Amino acid sequence: MPRYHNINGNRVQFTAEEEAARDAEEQAWADGAFNRAIADVRNKRNRLLAETDYLALSDNTLTSDMTTYRQNLRDITNGVDTVDKCNAISWPTKP
Amino acid sequence: MALISNGTTILDAGSVASSFKGSMTLIKKLTASSDATLSFVNGASGVVLDGTYKEYVFMFNNMHPGTDNTHFVFNMSIDTGSNYNVTKTTTYFHAAHNESGSASEVEYQTPSDLAQSTDFTRLQNFSNSNSDASCTGTLHLYDPSNTTHVKHFISIFNSSSYTTDPYTLQPFTSGYGNTTSAVDAVQFKYSSGNIDAGDICLYGIS
Repeated sequence: MPRYHNINGNRVQFTAEEEAARDAEEQAWADGAFNRAIADVRNKRNRLLAETDYLALSDNTLTSDMTTYRQNLRDITNGVDTVDKCNAISWPTKP
Repeated sequence: MALISNGTTILDAGSVASSFKGSMTLIKKLTASSDATLSFVNGASGVVLDGTYKEYVFMFNNMHPGTDNTHFVFNMSIDTGSNYNVTKTTTYFHAAHNESGSASEVEYQTPSDLAQSTDFTRLQNFSNSNSDASCTGTLHLYDPSNTTHVKHFISIFNSSSYTTDPYTLQPFTSGYGNTTSAVDAVQFKYSSGNIDAGDICLYGIS
């Protein structure tokens, strides 16, 4: 299926060189899918940990439920090695 | 009663003198139909992107990707669209909230910014390709024909992002094209796949 530019409202078909360049760009995008997905998981994990960091200060004692919750978050990427596994992660519930 | 200053009528009978009015002029509307890119290039098909206006606004209505989980991106050109590769430094942060109400955040995202890069800049992240999903927003480009200063831009979007756990995502992108050459073309696309549908209107502000 040929690709088209829409330039000022006029459709212009990609040249062979543009098709090859876009193919390479899309392949690189596809190849990076897992890295993007796992980065997203780590961002969310870090954010959820940060939300409860104040409970882990030295002048406070964590409850057992909170300790388990935070450990589950730290372990959330264990065994996750595909995009499907990233999307299927079951996040722990904050106590 | 009229308002007159040094012999010049500014206000009279409810009308403002034309020299004191601002205006927002529609220059061009592009409608995507499974296009790989949408480009506005100065000097053809009625498109103006030069010193005529000091500010240009792109308004995006219901941009819809052909491919799931992609980013809506843009770049600028200084050679009337032969190359879209202006060096840019940008920032990106967003507010987000999912449909289930279980997660919300305001977050700066390093993977979405650029430091002196010619890559396309993200205006929106992780597009949801469900048929009812889309993104909408504005991009302001300031003084693109200036040959003394860099080319600033500011963008705000809102999108329905992520397919498996849908979010409303409000990205804020800003930065500058680090060039003193005149920018005379702008291109939009998704990081992968086509722009399935959506309108972009270009306005000049005077």
